[in-house]
Amino acid sequence: MRFAFTDDQQLFAEGLRDLLAKECTPAHVRAAWEEGTGHDAALWSRLGEMGVLGVLVPEEQGGFGGTDVDLVLLLEELGKAAAPGPIVEHSAVVAPALIGTDFATGLADGSVIATAALDGSPYVPHAQVADIVLVPGGVARTEGATLTDVEGIDQGRRIFTVDGMTVAPVAFDSDLAFDRGALATAAFLVGLSERMIEVAAEYARQREQYGKPIGAYQAVKHLLADALQKVEFAKPAVYRAAWSISVDEPTRARDVSMAKAFASDAAYRASRSAMQVHGAIGYTWEADLQLWMKKAWALQRAWGDATFHRRRVADAVLGLSR
Amino acid sequence: MDLRYTAEQDAFRAEARAWLEANVPSAPLPSFDTEQGFALHRDWERKLSEGRWSAVSWPEEYGGRGADYIHWLIFEEEYYRAGAPGRVNQNGIFLLGPTIMEVGTPEQKTRFLPTMASSEIVWAQAWSEPNAGSDLASLRSTGMLSEDGPDGGGREWVLNGQKIWASRAVWADWCFGIFRTDPESERHRGLTFILVPLDSPGVTVRPIAQLDGDTGFAEIFFDDVHVPVENTLGEVNQGWRVTMAAAGFERGVSLRSPARFSATADRLVNLWHDRGDPSDLALRDAVVDAWMQAEGYKLHTYMTVTHMLDGGTIGAEASLNKIFWSEMDVRMHEIALDMLGPEAERMSGAYERWVDGFLFSLSGPIYAGTNEIQRNIIADRVLQLPRGL
Repeated sequence: MRFAFTDDQQLFAEGLRDLLAKECTPAHVRAAWEEGTGHDAALWSRLGEMGVLGVLVPEEQGGFGGTDVDLVLLLEELGKAAAPGPIVEHSAVVAPALIGTDFATGLADGSVIATAALDGSPYVPHAQVADIVLVPGGVARTEGATLTDVEGIDQGRRIFTVDGMTVAPVAFDSDLAFDRGALATAAFLVGLSERMIEVAAEYARQREQYGKPIGAYQAVKHLLADALQKVEFAKPAVYRAAWSISVDEPTRARDVSMAKAFASDAAYRASRSAMQVHGAIGYTWEADLQLWMKKAWALQRAWGDATFHRRRVADAVLGLSR
Repeated sequence: MDLRYTAEQDAFRAEARAWLEANVPSAPLPSFDTEQGFALHRDWERKLSEGRWSAVSWPEEYGGRGADYIHWLIFEEEYYRAGAPGRVNQNGIFLLGPTIMEVGTPEQKTRFLPTMASSEIVWAQAWSEPNAGSDLASLRSTGMLSEDGPDGGGREWVLNGQKIWASRAVWADWCFGIFRTDPESERHRGLTFILVPLDSPGVTVRPIAQLDGDTGFAEIFFDDVHVPVENTLGEVNQGWRVTMAAAGFERGVSLRSPARFSATADRLVNLWHDRGDPSDLALRDAVVDAWMQAEGYKLHTYMTVTHMLDGGTIGAEASLNKIFWSEMDVRMHEIALDMLGPEAERMSGAYERWVDGFLFSLSGPIYAGTNEIQRNIIADRVLQLPRGL
């Protein structure tokens, strides 16, 4: 029994954090929003070079040869940065699902960009920038398909209806792919939550009313303490689920669902507390807070919302509902 | 990361389970907040200690097994699984004991720890005062070095004042308290941590009935109580530091192991199978959410203890735990009472454990530092917000 990351895993995450601090600042995220794709091609290629996009691809196929436990901390860092683009779909879902298939080429380094439409949503995230889409039963190319932007709330995650896709049948483990999508999204949400709390605490240290920083008032302290508690208790659930996937535990689906339910709830709580602490500034387009909040609001329901996942845990713990 | 137990850990679990199955009383003991129940719980502690199970994480020389935190968690899981009695000396074994090991002298360790492990001496905590609750540093009970005596003075503390909310003090043998020993001092300075026999002349213990009617706590009056200076734990006038170390144990992992809440969650799931309406999705969601909370607390604890085994410490993060387990415990009991309907009004009968447990759970958000104080601690020390008080 050992519930901790290795030094190497933490060093990889720190390296990514350093990269993101330079190349995925709020200004970069805004640029990806304004440019209209919700994607940052320069960041994407840096993530490819660093091995982040191919963590789950074996080394002999050009990947990093890592596990879901290696990936989970990276996704948390990417969440802190509200990194735009199909990172979750590509790295956690499609790249491992298509290992050994005709569609594997270019996924390990990200030279082919993949997204996924496996969570029951009628909308395909990031379809505009993706070359291929993993769908139930196979792989579709976006080339030649008709994409309609339906204006997602997070402009770093454009969503589309897609018509006229031709699906090439490919066998893959769709349950595993779904669990990986849900867990990766949960990890991303943990990072988003941490950053929103950090930004709100920073604001509460500086903003003064009645002659002192608002962070000195207990009502403000308690809002943020409660938000922090939710994310601190979501983290172990997320890490455990990553481990359960990596060793294919019999409780994998249950563990993933517990993680996603906790992370979705924690992220929503963090967004509400952070916005409340910001006051009117938090309700502006100008404040960077929206970059994290809107991604949290999109991802809290992506790959199943908290209620969906809580009920999947209930099926495992209480028996199937009647 | 490997969340499987080793073969050695599995063997330890099997050993604990076998011993508990052979020794746990077949019927629940009366509450340790009653005189008879207290005596029976002390007998149980003696039996535990004879099997070297009363303080598994303590060094062997003091009656423990030198078990690390993972083994301690395994033991706790088995303890609650077996439905074994509550720990009447928990303030000693889980709170004062670790503190003595951290700051006590070799003589104090030899003198106090073995009798604590066997519960020959049961300990009560004497910190709060009528006007010093959340604001503990405003306490006014005093300790003055004696000016005369057989050896010329300075060898004894003379204690005066009043402590309150001392759990199990009605039948306990000793208490551990904090006293203002520098009369010129204010707040956190000038306090000393002192160990006091409750049969000392000048000590008066007045029982206080709790919400459930049992006298589970008490007031302790000190009226020129003499104790030797050897009973000082830590340095004179450094009692706040000792108190905070002890409070860290109380709020952190050592007093509220996840096994207790996992056991409650399992009972809640069983109650749902017995009495829950399976078509009531809101209830089903609530029950599974309670199960998830207990599981989440367990995972959080395993991560924390791995961090500690790697040489890390827990500081203000312990306050996150305290809020989490106390609110979870209340929530689980609320859900149970909702399922019980009219039976939730009865203090006797088949479901009394849920009703009694509900009353007890309500003390959780208050004792060991109210949850509002814990939120302040998190905000100030983890989130680095400006001090407001």
